[in-house]
Amino acid sequence: MSIIRLLNRLEEDIIALLLVVLTLLVFVETVMRFGFGATIDWAEEGSLTLAGWFVLFGASHGIKEGTHIGVDLFTRALPGRARRAVAVVAVVACLGYAGLFLYGSWVYLDKMWMLGLPMEDLPMPTWAAHSVMLIGFGLIALRLVILLVNIVRGRADGFPFANEADETMEHFEATHADEGGRS
Amino acid sequence: MTTAFLFILLFGAMLIGIPVALSLGLSSIVTILLFSNDSLASIALKFFSAASDHYTLLAIPFFILSSAFLSTGGVAERLIDFANNCVGHIKGGLAMASVLACMLFAAVSGSSPATVAAIGSLVIAGMAKAGYPEKFAAGAIANAGTLGILIPPSIVMLVYSAATQTSAAKMFMAGLIPGIMMGGILMLAIYIAARVMDLPRLPFPGFRTLFGSAARASGGLMLIVIVLGAIYGGVASPTEAAAVSAIYAFLVSALVYRDIGPLKATPWRHEGESNATAVARNAVQMLVAVPRSAWHPDMRETVLSAAKTSIMLLFIIANAMLFAHVLTTERIPHHIAEAIVSWGLPAWGFLIVVNILLLVAGNFMEPSAILLIMAPILFPIAMQLGIDPIHLGVIMVVNMEIGMITPPVGLNLFVTAGITNRSLGWAMSAALPWLGLMLIFLLLITYIPQISLFLPEILG
Amino acid sequence: APVTLKFSHVVAENTPKGKMAQRFEKLVEERIGDKVQVEVYPNSQLYNDNKVLQAMQLGDVQMAAPALSKFSRYTDRLQVFDLPFLFENIDAVSCFQKSDKGRMLLDHMKDKGIIGLGYQHNGMKQLSASDPLRTPGDAAGKKFRIMSSDVLAAQFKAVDAAPVKKPFSEVFTLLQTEAIDGQENTWSNIYTQKFYEVQPYITESNHGYLGYMVVTSTSFWNSLDEESRKVIRESMNEALEYGNSLANELNQEAKQKVIDSGESEVIDLSDDQREQWVKAMKPVWNQFRSQIGGDLIDAAEACDG
Ligand code: NA
Ligand code: NA
Repeated sequence: MSIIRLLNRLEEDIIALLLVVLTLLVFVETVMRFGFGATIDWAEEGSLTLAGWFVLFGASHGIKEGTHIGVDLFTRALPGRARRAVAVVAVVACLGYAGLFLYGSWVYLDKMWMLGLPMEDLPMPTWAAHSVMLIGFGLIALRLVILLVNIVRGRADGFPFANEADETMEHFEATHADEGGRS
Repeated sequence: MTTAFLFILLFGAMLIGIPVALSLGLSSIVTILLFSNDSLASIALKFFSAASDHYTLLAIPFFILSSAFLSTGGVAERLIDFANNCVGHIKGGLAMASVLACMLFAAVSGSSPATVAAIGSLVIAGMAKAGYPEKFAAGAIANAGTLGILIPPSIVMLVYSAATQTSAAKMFMAGLIPGIMMGGILMLAIYIAARVMDLPRLPFPGFRTLFGSAARASGGLMLIVIVLGAIYGGVASPTEAAAVSAIYAFLVSALVYRDIGPLKATPWRHEGESNATAVARNAVQMLVAVPRSAWHPDMRETVLSAAKTSIMLLFIIANAMLFAHVLTTERIPHHIAEAIVSWGLPAWGFLIVVNILLLVAGNFMEPSAILLIMAPILFPIAMQLGIDPIHLGVIMVVNMEIGMITPPVGLNLFVTAGITNRSLGWAMSAALPWLGLMLIFLLLITYIPQISLFLPEILG
Repeated sequence: APVTLKFSHVVAENTPKGKMAQRFEKLVEERIGDKVQVEVYPNSQLYNDNKVLQAMQLGDVQMAAPALSKFSRYTDRLQVFDLPFLFENIDAVSCFQKSDKGRMLLDHMKDKGIIGLGYQHNGMKQLSASDPLRTPGDAAGKKFRIMSSDVLAAQFKAVDAAPVKKPFSEVFTLLQTEAIDGQENTWSNIYTQKFYEVQPYITESNHGYLGYMVVTSTSFWNSLDEESRKVIRESMNEALEYGNSLANELNQEAKQKVIDSGESEVIDLSDDQREQWVKAMKPVWNQFRSQIGGDLIDAAEACDG
C-alpha cells in the first residue's frame, strides 16, 4: 500500500517538475534573449518536447484523480447495476483506445529506432525523445485496468469526474481554509 | 456516412460517461481504423505532434500556473478591495465593483472559470451579506467571469490562433475593446437594476484609502502591465510573456504578499526592527525563500493543481486535434464548406449560421474542443466571404463565453454552483436573466467588426 | 480502385508550391487518373514540415515538399543549399540542381526511405531589419530569425549577429514588436507575410537560396508500376517547371510591390559592400566543407558563370 502511495507521489512530483522546468526554460530563454542578446538554439525543440512529455505523462494521473471533464447526466440517471454495466463498457472502450495508441506508438518508435533518426536540435535520437508516447499510453492503460477492477468489485461506478469547476474550487477551499481571518 | 459514424461515436462515447478527451480520441481512431488507410503509427505520430508541435499552446499551462499563484496568493482579494474603493459608492456599487474586479482579474488570467472562482468565491457571499439577492450576485459574477477569455490574455484565443495560424498577439489586441465594452454593459445593467431594486451602496472611502488599496493591489495590477507590455513592447511573444507572468506571479505571491510559501506569516518588518536590519533580513530571507519554495507544500500544491488543469485542457486539445485531423482527411470541412458556399449566403447570413452553430455547440462541449473542430470548417469560408480572420476569432470567442453560462456543459455554471453550494439548476436560473445581454452583445460584435478590429488596425 | 497519392504541403494554394501541386494533380488526373488519384492537402492540414517526412515513411503521406533545410535530420549534404553566397543568382541554383551532383542529391536518401523527384524554388533570400544593413558590421549584435539550420546559424554568427530559431507563425509578431531585429527571406515571403510592413529596411543581398525538394517514400515508389512512375516523374517535371517560373515571376512582382508600398526602404549593395558581406560569410563554407562534401561545393561554384 505504501509503495503505491509512494509511486503516486512520485508521479505527481514528476508532473509538477515537468511544468516547472518547462516554464523556467521558456522564461530563461526569453530573459537571455532580451537581456543579453544570447540565444539557446535547442530551447524551442526542448520546450515543445517537454510539453509533449507533460501532457502524455500526466494524462493517466487525470483518470485516477477524475480531472478529465465528462458528462454524467445520463449515467447518473441509471439504476446501480445498469450504471456499472455501462461503466464497464465505457472503460473497456477506453482500453481499446489506449491499446490502439500503444500499438501505433510502438510501430512508430520502432521505425524511428531503425532509421536512427536524430532530433533536430536536441542531442538525442527521435525514438528516445518521443518514447513518452509508449509510457503515457501505457500508464493510461494501467489506470483504466485499475478502474475496471474497481468497477467490477463494486468500489466505483464509472469514471470519477471532478469537473474542472470542482477542481478549481477544491483548490480554492484548500488554500483559503486557513486564512479566514485576513483583512 | 463516415461523418455520421464519427459524430455518433463521439456523442455515444460521451453519453456513456467517457471523458470528453477520450471520447474525441476514441471516435477518431476507430473511424480511421474502419474508414481510412492511415496507419495507427501515423495516428500516434499525429497525436504526439498535436501535443507537442504548437508553440502558441505552451502559453496555456503558463497562464494557468500564473492564475494559480495569483488566486491562492491573495492577489484576487487585493484587486477586489481596489475595485470596491473605485466604484463601491455608486448605487449597486458592490456588484459593479465585482464586475470590475472580474475584468481586472481577466486581464491577468486567461481562463473564465478561474476568474469566476477567484473573484466569485470572495464577493458573492459579501454581496449577499450587504443586502443583495444572492441570485443576482451569483448571476452577475457568472457572466462577468466569462470575460476571462475575452479580455487578454486568453486561453481560447490561443487555441484559435493555433488552429487558424492567426497572430495571437493580434487576437489579444482585438479582445480588449469588446471586453471593456461588455464589462461596461454589465455595469450599466447593474446600475439600472440597482435603481429599480433599490440595492445598497457603500460610502466613498476617501482618496487616501483608494490610493492605499491601489498600492496594495499594485503587485497584481503590475502583471497586466508586464504581460501586455512584454507582448506589445517588444520583449516577448504571447507564449514567452505567459512564462514571464508565471514566474512573476510566483515571486509576487511568495516573496511580496507572502500569503503562501516559505515566507508565509513572515512580516516585512518586526516590531522595533531598524530599517537597515529589516532590509538585510528580508534580502537574505527572500534569496533563501526561492530555493526553499521547491520543497514547500504550498508551492507543490499550487503547481500540481495548475499542472492538473493544464494537462486536462491540453489532453482535450490534443485529442480534439486528432478529431479535426480525421475531419480533414475525410475532407469533411471541404464538403461542409462547399455546401454552405452553395447556399450562396452573403457574409451577414453566413455569420448568422456561424453563431447558431457555435451557440448550439457551446451547450455541449468545451470551448477549446469546439474551436479546434469548428475553426477549420468555418475559417476557409469566412476567408472566401472576405470576413477578417481576427473578427471571426472574436465572434467565436464571444460565442464560447456564452457557452460557459449555458447548460448542460457550462464551466462557469459549475463553478458558480460550487462556490455558492447551490444546485446547477439554481446557478442556471441565476445566470439566465443576463443571457439576453450577452446575446445583444454578440450581435453587436458580429455586425460591427470595427469594435474588434479598431485596435489591431491602428496598432499594426 | 486507383492508388491514392496524398500530397501534403504547408503553404497556401495560391503560392508557387501550391499551384505546382495543383498542376501536378491535374496532369496525373488527365494521364493516369484511373490508376493514381492525387489528393493535395495544403496549409499543413495533414502534417507540418517537421513531421511530414516521418508520416511519409510510415506510409500515410505519399508526397511532400519540405524546405531543403528540413532534411537536416536525414542528411548533411543538402546543407549545401544553405551556404551563403554560394549561388550568384537563381539561374546558378537551377544549373546546379540540373547537374549530375544535383540529381545525385535527389537519390542519396534512398536508404532512409526518401526519394527526391525534383526541386521547387522559392527564391533568393534578402535581409530585412529594423536598421539599414549595408556592411556586415551593421548586422553585429542584432537578432535574426532563422529556420532551424546549423549553416544559417553559422552564417549569422559569422557577422557577429545572434541567430534565433522561431516558428514561422511567430515571426511577424516578434518583428513587429522588435523582439527580433531582422530576418532573411525571399521577396515573395517578405511581401505575402507582410514583413515589409514591420521591417523598415530591406537589403537586396541575394545571399542565399530558399527552396524545396519534392519527395516521395521509397516504399510507395517501389509499389507503383513502371508506367505510373514514368508518368508521375514527367508530370512532376512539368509541374515543377511551371512552379519555378511562377516563383521567379512572383519574386519580381513582390519586390516591385514592396518598393511601391513605400513602407520600407530597399537597399542596393555596392560592389564593394557586397564583397564585404561575401568575405565575412564565406568562411562558413569551410566550416561545413567536410560535412557537405567538397565535390558539391565545387560543382555549385562551377555554375556561377
Ligand atoms: Na483574460
Ligand atoms: Na454551455
